[in-house]
Amino acid sequence: MSDLALSPAAASARAPGRFKVIRAVAAKEWLEMRRDRRLVALFAFAALLMLAALGFGAAENARLSRERAAAAEADRELWTSQGAKNPHAAAHFGQYAFKPESPLALADPGVDPYVGTAVWLEAHKQNEAQFRPARDGGTAARLGGLSLAFILQVIAPLVVLLTGFASFAGERESGALKQLLSLGARPGDLLAGKALALFGAAAALLAPAFICAFVAVALLADPSKLSLADQFLRLAVLTLGYGVYLAGFAFLALGVSALARDSRAALVALLAFWLVNAFVAPRLSADLARALAPTPSAQEFRAAIARDKAKTFGHDETHPAFVAFRDETLKKYGVSRVEDLPVSFRGLTLRRDDENGYAIYDKHFGALQAAFDRQDALRTAAGFVFPLLAMQPFSMALAGADSRAQFDFATAAEAHRRLIQNEVSDNIIHFQRDESYVAGPELWRRIAAFSYSSPKAGFALAGAREAIAGLLGWLALTAVFARVAVRRLRPL
Amino acid sequence: MTSFLAGLRAEALILSRARAVGVALVALAAAALFALYAGATRVATQQEIVAAARADEAQRIDGLKKTLLTLESGAAQQEPPPYRDPRNAAFMGAGPAARVAALAPQPLALVAVGQSDLMSSAIKVTSGSKDAFLFADEIENPALLSSGATDLAFIVVLVYPLVILALAFNLLSGEREQGTLVMTLAAARRPGAALAGKLAARLVAPIAVMFLASALGVGLFAGWDALASTGFMRLAAVILVYGLFWAALAAAVDGLGQSSASNALTLVGAWVVLALLAPAAINSVAAYAYPAPSRIDMTLAARAAATDADKNRDAMLARYVEEHGSAPRGGPREGTLRRIATQEAAFERVEGVIAAHDAALGRQRALVDRLSYLSPTMLAYAALADVAGTGEARYRDFQDRLGAFHLDWRAFFLSRAKAGQAMTAQDYDSLPRFAADGEAEGGVTAALLGMGLPTLLLALFAWRGFRRVAP
Repeated sequence: MSDLALSPAAASARAPGRFKVIRAVAAKEWLEMRRDRRLVALFAFAALLMLAALGFGAAENARLSRERAAAAEADRELWTSQGAKNPHAAAHFGQYAFKPESPLALADPGVDPYVGTAVWLEAHKQNEAQFRPARDGGTAARLGGLSLAFILQVIAPLVVLLTGFASFAGERESGALKQLLSLGARPGDLLAGKALALFGAAAALLAPAFICAFVAVALLADPSKLSLADQFLRLAVLTLGYGVYLAGFAFLALGVSALARDSRAALVALLAFWLVNAFVAPRLSADLARALAPTPSAQEFRAAIARDKAKTFGHDETHPAFVAFRDETLKKYGVSRVEDLPVSFRGLTLRRDDENGYAIYDKHFGALQAAFDRQDALRTAAGFVFPLLAMQPFSMALAGADSRAQFDFATAAEAHRRLIQNEVSDNIIHFQRDESYVAGPELWRRIAAFSYSSPKAGFALAGAREAIAGLLGWLALTAVFARVAVRRLRPL
Repeated sequence: MTSFLAGLRAEALILSRARAVGVALVALAAAALFALYAGATRVATQQEIVAAARADEAQRIDGLKKTLLTLESGAAQQEPPPYRDPRNAAFMGAGPAARVAALAPQPLALVAVGQSDLMSSAIKVTSGSKDAFLFADEIENPALLSSGATDLAFIVVLVYPLVILALAFNLLSGEREQGTLVMTLAAARRPGAALAGKLAARLVAPIAVMFLASALGVGLFAGWDALASTGFMRLAAVILVYGLFWAALAAAVDGLGQSSASNALTLVGAWVVLALLAPAAINSVAAYAYPAPSRIDMTLAARAAATDADKNRDAMLARYVEEHGSAPRGGPREGTLRRIATQEAAFERVEGVIAAHDAALGRQRALVDRLSYLSPTMLAYAALADVAGTGEARYRDFQDRLGAFHLDWRAFFLSRAKAGQAMTAQDYDSLPRFAADGEAEGGVTAALLGMGLPTLLLALFAWRGFRRVAP
């Protein structure tokens, strides 16, 4: 009897476990990637870029932190060294609130270059933050800087697509795919194995960058001013987010590779998607958001506030609201002349004027931020198709460098302004007896310096809900697409 | 010439039948037209902002003149406080009478956003120090600002090269892989010329589409007159030379004799490096080497001047009276003189800090300018912003003219305030005006040379490669 007759029938051979197949496919893909010198060089180049970006980011972050801390100290010195003057004059002299730099801005500067770094806190008026750093950057700066976020959001997906575009198409061209399928390998197992290998590649891309980011934050962040645990939590969530972002690109590359007639067609299609996602979608969505949720011009915004303020009396003693307030105050204290009041009427009018202003500013600045939020939500809406639209707000939020974080800072600055106003008006109410009244440095010192604690990771996550949904939607959509695409694979 | 034309005709025929090529070219034209439409919308908004600022200025000054008339005729029921009194030069010059210094959009402003979304196009100049008015920003969602807007400059510098590369990357390699290269070379009387003709057909298509779409868009949205301007000629020159650079690069890589896949990857890599990474790296290196000094210093300097003036108010006033003639002590006049003395001290300090700041920024930008010759994308982007009148040169010029106007404005009001002169109706009719600038010259010669020289070198390299293929 020949050996051939003794050998068991192929059909009755025990098929290897699915996990074994997946593992074998992943191991083979991984080995091929490691052997491909061009790919290794590409990964090494990307890693170098990320490390350089982190280096620049860390240096810039440290410089800005030093600069703002020194400015805050100098401004405090100016405030406390005011000579004897009327407290209301001191309120007009004002203080500055400087936005502290978020440590994770070294990885993603977010909108920081495009928002003001300081808010002037003065009497009667809520100001917008001023001194946008981007104004000093010149035209060329609009082409961007080397940040870790830029590399991870734009270059890393390209690396993943270049790694994965030939996964199925290349094997189809060489005939290996047909062979594998005819041996009984399930398309789903092939997809899982190849996806596993690509995820490994994405992890290899992310690992050095995030390990270095963890070290940089540990070394540079000041634990006396913020919670290091919170920063590490933010970094861990960021790592997960970027993992999801790149995993979606891995599925996309595999799906397109399975559908395309050859690897060249797969590459062209994937590059076209990458281009649209990285460059076209962000700009078009910004234009769309502007058109659908317009914001007022600075002049319209200030004019609307001025219109509302004109309904209140300010310093105008002939204003009907002033006369009404005077009469109401006289009645309340049971006197008939301002001179007979037991407290300073000027102080009372200043406090009432401030209180009127608080409501007006809350209304207008709140509406403006709501318009920004609507624009941001509109931009993120297509994040499940063009994932950069979800990744950018997610990354900026976790890095503490989005417009919501800026609004939180501006709100805290405004709360401090109100504290100053209330303190000086109270001082006038209780101590001013005539026009020549002045207060001394003890009052300036008693009014605390502006101190701001950035919100915790929970605040960032709550603000990034739509972006998180977009990223998860992107992963689900690409996974389903890849699954559907490989189901079409046939041995013949 | 016949071989060249025959090659060109044959390739044009092949291209006209390729659906993907048609789609790419139509998409490029559509993107350019949309970008110019978006640019025209943006310019209209800027014009509205300038017009609104001017209307506000006219209304304010008209109101002051009416109040002045009422006060002079004795019809006013009571004296206004000094900060609302149109006769008070010190207060009026510091805000209520402020003139608008406007930077009106240029005819080709729709081409590039440049710095126009960051720099205010209408600034209310006052007699205070510059920190009081120079940094008033337009309202904009910072997330949208950081994304940038869709403009022709973006389409030209990033999308246009990719279309050129897609068409030109596999002329030789594609024919070699299909097995038609030998036939093409054998059939032509002058194989080199035939190949050059085929290459020209692939290059002419995207360059011509980009040029025609730009001309159509500019004509439709900025007016057909704009096509006859020197600005449009400069725009066309940038489109041509920048396109030729990428075409020469594609031809040079194709001439190396590698496979189509290898050419595609090399060219995409070159695009990523030259158009994305080089500008980012250059910006980061320049910012690291010459960090922009803090604008906060300027404000703190002005505030320090104010506190110092407060501390030695008597000494300052005495010195002031000595320098500016006798003045009565006490009363509102002394208050005015003290305010002016404080303002002047702040003005001097702020001018000093701004000059130092600008010098530091100048060093950073000079380094960026030098390094930008490493990236044709940076050169093209800056050149297009200059053509649009939204580039650095025009904003620098605006700042200089603003500085001169600020001096005139201060002299006009402070001379009257110091002399104790009340503002008159004639004074309001002869307020200094900020003069409008002419059309931006936007020199693009350096950028064209910076792109043209590497183009020539690459073309020479490509020619050698193509010649090697010819039998």
